[in-house]
Amino acid sequence: MAKPVVKKEYTLSERIYLWEILKGMKLTWGHFWFNFKACWRPGPHTIPTCWQYPEDRTREISPIFRGEHMLQRDDKGREMCIACGMCAKICPAQCITIKKAKRKEGEEEKYAAKTYPAAFEVDLLRCIFCGFCEDVCPKNAIVLGQEFEFARYTKEECILDKRKLLMNYRKAKEEGKLKPPRKRVPVVPAPPKPEKAEGGEAKKSKAAVAGKTKKKPVAKKKAVESAEGTEKKEAAEKEE
Amino acid sequence: MDDWLIAIIKVVGIWVWVLLIAVVMTWVERRGAALIQDRPGPNRAGPWGLFQPLADGIKLFTKEEIIPTKAQKLLYIIGPLLFSVPAFSAYAVVPFGDKIVLGGKEIILQVSDVNIGFLYILAIGSMAVYGVILGGWGSNNKYSILGGLRSTAQMVSYEVPLGLALLGIVFVYGTFSLRDISLAQQGTFLGFLPNWGIFKQPLGFILFIVAAYAEANRVPFDLPEAESEIVSGYHTEYGSMRLGLYLFGEYVNLVTISGIIVALYFGSWHMPYIDLGAYLGPISWGIVSFCIFFLKVSFFLWMFVWVRWTLPRFRYDQVMGLGWRGLIPLALFNIFITALFIQLTV
Repeated sequence: MAKPVVKKEYTLSERIYLWEILKGMKLTWGHFWFNFKACWRPGPHTIPTCWQYPEDRTREISPIFRGEHMLQRDDKGREMCIACGMCAKICPAQCITIKKAKRKEGEEEKYAAKTYPAAFEVDLLRCIFCGFCEDVCPKNAIVLGQEFEFARYTKEECILDKRKLLMNYRKAKEEGKLKPPRKRVPVVPAPPKPEKAEGGEAKKSKAAVAGKTKKKPVAKKKAVESAEGTEKKEAAEKEE
Repeated sequence: MDDWLIAIIKVVGIWVWVLLIAVVMTWVERRGAALIQDRPGPNRAGPWGLFQPLADGIKLFTKEEIIPTKAQKLLYIIGPLLFSVPAFSAYAVVPFGDKIVLGGKEIILQVSDVNIGFLYILAIGSMAVYGVILGGWGSNNKYSILGGLRSTAQMVSYEVPLGLALLGIVFVYGTFSLRDISLAQQGTFLGFLPNWGIFKQPLGFILFIVAAYAEANRVPFDLPEAESEIVSGYHTEYGSMRLGLYLFGEYVNLVTISGIIVALYFGSWHMPYIDLGAYLGPISWGIVSFCIFFLKVSFFLWMFVWVRWTLPRFRYDQVMGLGWRGLIPLALFNIFITALFIQLTV
């Protein structure tokens, strides 16, 4: 049942308005006076909620901000991208174009995997900075950095090719603005259903007799193993 | 010849001065709104953004003037004129200082001290509604006509409590001239209060200020241009300097209303308890009285801004209800009490 609407009866002073108006004016005066004093303080950022942007760049940018793209290299300086094309496929704006190439002999220093992108283009004019590409990347190669001032004069400048993407990475590394490694998404095993667990226990006694268990998928796989090993595994799972 | 020269200087001087205040008010309104809403506001053009009105003016002057295809051209063009000309002419009877003696000649700091000042203000104030309704009608736009209609209903119904509140002041001072009323507010009242109109007519002051906010189309009574309901009301179709005339006219109205409030209720150029005119020379007293008067006026101008960013807009039926069922009976009651007092004491 919905919450019943209680209509408030106004008191006389509220119905006359004037006293309430004065209370409201006191509130707005408080805001005005606070900000008026703040205006006289030195420095561009004096009113707490406002950053005077072009002069004042002190505003903190989140480490997981989604700015301009970059292609990462691994510890040995090799390109990490394997040109699997998943980013291009998931991109809602379809702004990524990848040309795949196979690594030749003697290029192990340059590319980390057996395949690499011969061309990697990101069209900034189309990109909506949703971050799906970095989410889907299996090698954590494409990353959206912290750079957000990329107004350009021509259309061509707005298309990031591979060279520019790698340069973005170098720049971010020099400035120490690399994105922190992604947190692993914890894979939680599905909890066993209580009914089945009871059945399992009932079966367990049978299984002990039979020397075989077919209760759980984990156990199913290793049904070939000895009964002792299965019991140990079960005990470990229960502890968890 | 000298009288003519003085009159022309006074007319031009006060016209420029009121226009200047109106221009600065646009800046004050935007900065004040911003600070009340926790943001800095226009602060780029010049020191503290003071040149912002200039930039706005340049923009308004250089914009293309567009007349909508199916608009009624004559009404569309004279709408802003009919709104701004009364606004500029209404200040003529409001004083802006005591008097100044130059070369043995006594100059009253008022464009003209007519003995029917009140009636002039009421008549000119009623003229402004023509500008609004004609502009709204001539634009051939449904939002404009709605804004015009609202303004007509609102201004007509709030003129009654405005006039009745002023009648209370006339009862107390027995004159229609604003200068005489200002002069009568010197000294103290009941021995400890400044002899100001507000202490003699407290209810009348509240009625007057509420009705004046409605007459000036200011929040909380800005229904004719309620931008969340009817785009921007009667000046939806206007652009360039025609829109500028409407906006400037509104601010000039504010200056006039604040001047009237100060002259009638807040002792115009008199300081409380101290009669500075007795200590200062004739020229310096003229300047000081002018400054005191406009200090008080600027407080009321600021109050217009302050109230605007505090209160939400009234609903249309609430505005009408407040006007007809709240203010008019109260105004009649105020007149009754005042008349009774005068009858019993005098």
